[in-house]
Amino acid sequence: MERIVLVGKPNCGKSLLFNQLTGLRQKVANFPGVTVELKTGQFDQFEVVDFPGTYSLHSLSKDEEIAVEKLNLAVDDDDTQLVVCVLDAARLERSLVFALQVQALARKNNKAVVFVLNMIDEVERYGLNIDIKALQKELGAPVYALSAKTLKGVAAFKEALPSLAKQAQAPTELNIQLGEQRKFIERAREINAEYGIRSDVVLKNQNRIDTFLLNNVLGGIAFLAIMFFLFQSIFTWAQPLMDGTEAAIGWIASTLTGVIGPGIVSDFLNDAIFGGVGAFLVFVPQIMVLTLIIGVLEDSGYLARAALICHKPLSLFGLSGRSFIPYLTGHACAIPAIMAARTIESPRKRLITMLTIPLMSCSARLPVYALLIAVLIPKDATFLGVFDLQGAAFFGLYFFGILMALVVSTLMNVFTRKSKELKDMPFILELPSYRLPHWKPLFQRVINSGLQFIKRAAPVIFVISLCLWTLGYFPQGAGLENSLLGKIGHFIEPIFEPLGLDWRYGVAMIMSFLAREVFVGALGTMFGMSGAEENIAGLAAQIQADGLTLGAGIGLLLFYVVALQCVATVAMLRAETGKSRIAWGLYAGYGILAYLIAVIAAHIF
Amino acid sequence: MKTLWELKAKQAAVVETINSQLTVSVISRLQEMGFSEGQQVVCVRRSPFKGPLVVQVGDCVYSLEQAVAEKINLALAS
Repeated sequence: MERIVLVGKPNCGKSLLFNQLTGLRQKVANFPGVTVELKTGQFDQFEVVDFPGTYSLHSLSKDEEIAVEKLNLAVDDDDTQLVVCVLDAARLERSLVFALQVQALARKNNKAVVFVLNMIDEVERYGLNIDIKALQKELGAPVYALSAKTLKGVAAFKEALPSLAKQAQAPTELNIQLGEQRKFIERAREINAEYGIRSDVVLKNQNRIDTFLLNNVLGGIAFLAIMFFLFQSIFTWAQPLMDGTEAAIGWIASTLTGVIGPGIVSDFLNDAIFGGVGAFLVFVPQIMVLTLIIGVLEDSGYLARAALICHKPLSLFGLSGRSFIPYLTGHACAIPAIMAARTIESPRKRLITMLTIPLMSCSARLPVYALLIAVLIPKDATFLGVFDLQGAAFFGLYFFGILMALVVSTLMNVFTRKSKELKDMPFILELPSYRLPHWKPLFQRVINSGLQFIKRAAPVIFVISLCLWTLGYFPQGAGLENSLLGKIGHFIEPIFEPLGLDWRYGVAMIMSFLAREVFVGALGTMFGMSGAEENIAGLAAQIQADGLTLGAGIGLLLFYVVALQCVATVAMLRAETGKSRIAWGLYAGYGILAYLIAVIAAHIF
Repeated sequence: MKTLWELKAKQAAVVETINSQLTVSVISRLQEMGFSEGQQVVCVRRSPFKGPLVVQVGDCVYSLEQAVAEKINLALAS
């Protein structure tokens, strides 16, 4: 199929243009460990490939290297008919530095080039104008002024596109060779001086808003307010969607098992499939809501400011300003959080961030927290006479997770300082214009996040569900206590003694080492209760009656904060770092750390 | 010699050189961003506790951390 390649610097509105050309159906090609994402869509008979926003063909980071490599391959490829260079009309000089390089690359491969002057609406808003005809002559290639947002000029561009793809190379004054970098810079400057608009006008607004949002006091308050809002959304807003998903899965499960009738198949479907796989599907709405809000923050331009605000504080712990979004996301689920860490500029800081994300208290830990807090703390107890003690305990656990993450980051930072492979990348960040996000790219991203999560986690969770179910079901009819799992639990009971726990907790804990969500249900079964997830209060009462000590309870809680009990996360880490050793090492490491903390807690309290 | 890191808020200056202590690719990128000889830069704002600097160069606004900003040398008379 004939191909059109779309390139441009970051923040030039290329994604929206891509959406306007190809509609909402796109395929995303992901490359583990790097931010690079290639989106492919269809326009007429052409395949359109959207390349990640790039500043230059001379790459600075590994990500950029990969993106440029792919671009080189694409431009060289026979199927590629046209290279579309998108320019930001308000930032002509900056856009041209890259665009001119790409034009030279295209010429070398004998490919047609066309320039798109995007965001023309922003320029016209100030009553300014760009001489398109003159610019066209200067660049030696067609120039289309349009706004992907208001759709002005887009129809004309779409109409012209097929014939542009067939055009022959036009002669031009531009004969700078690739590699003559300075000349590209100078040429871009020349062209902008002649035809570009005065930047002060456009930047004035952005700087004015920044005076507020980057202000030490007001900006700080705004930042905290936005973060609080984001945090709330993970729990409050996503809740109805999560309940809905759970109900839907439950309905499908009961209908299906009703049809099939009781027996091993029914049990398998109920517990292994709908119980196991269904349990993790519940997190999808939460991830999508989170992606939506973060997407809005990013497209509006605010995220860059937030990264700037966080950079210095987080640097103290060996992290980057860009680490805070992955950390925040990690409170919903580590999997999208680890993917979000790809945007971190320094490979070392990126690695440290990814490795400490699992210490953030994710949603799967909530039922465990809820259960144990209900056991250890009476419902109406207060803290300082005013604050609800149970709520305070939740907050304390979250805080403990964050604290552990910062401590471990600092340690990792200190110990990897000498490492040569992990060079540091400097913090250089562009502050884009403030813009109202468009729903199309947001919508894409939200859908993608759900699909990616399912694609990554589903296979792993499925296999685990299968294993756990098998170990817990057989020998058939023996019940969980006398099953293979139960026998294993009894066998390793001595390990749990220093924690003040017996074999029943042991079984539930082993099971949750594969996926945390199963803890409550498993423990419930060990105490003779089925469906414990829906009746946490009931199970809590049973555990209290059984006599769980304060120390053992606290130890268990802290254990769950720290331990990496999610094989899906391990699989994700392995994919992103490319090293099994690191992923499994972390799994073992955090497990041991959690154990030590739990033992200490069990003896102090 | 004065560096970009020493530029006060709202102050303008002209770039002279970039310290060769930075890696070649970083210097190259800074030049592409507009930090080349004779170019004017304006400090938009400074951040507390030695946080990154916000600077306007050409038609873009960037944030640079201290380690980078203090390697960009400015011409004396600004």
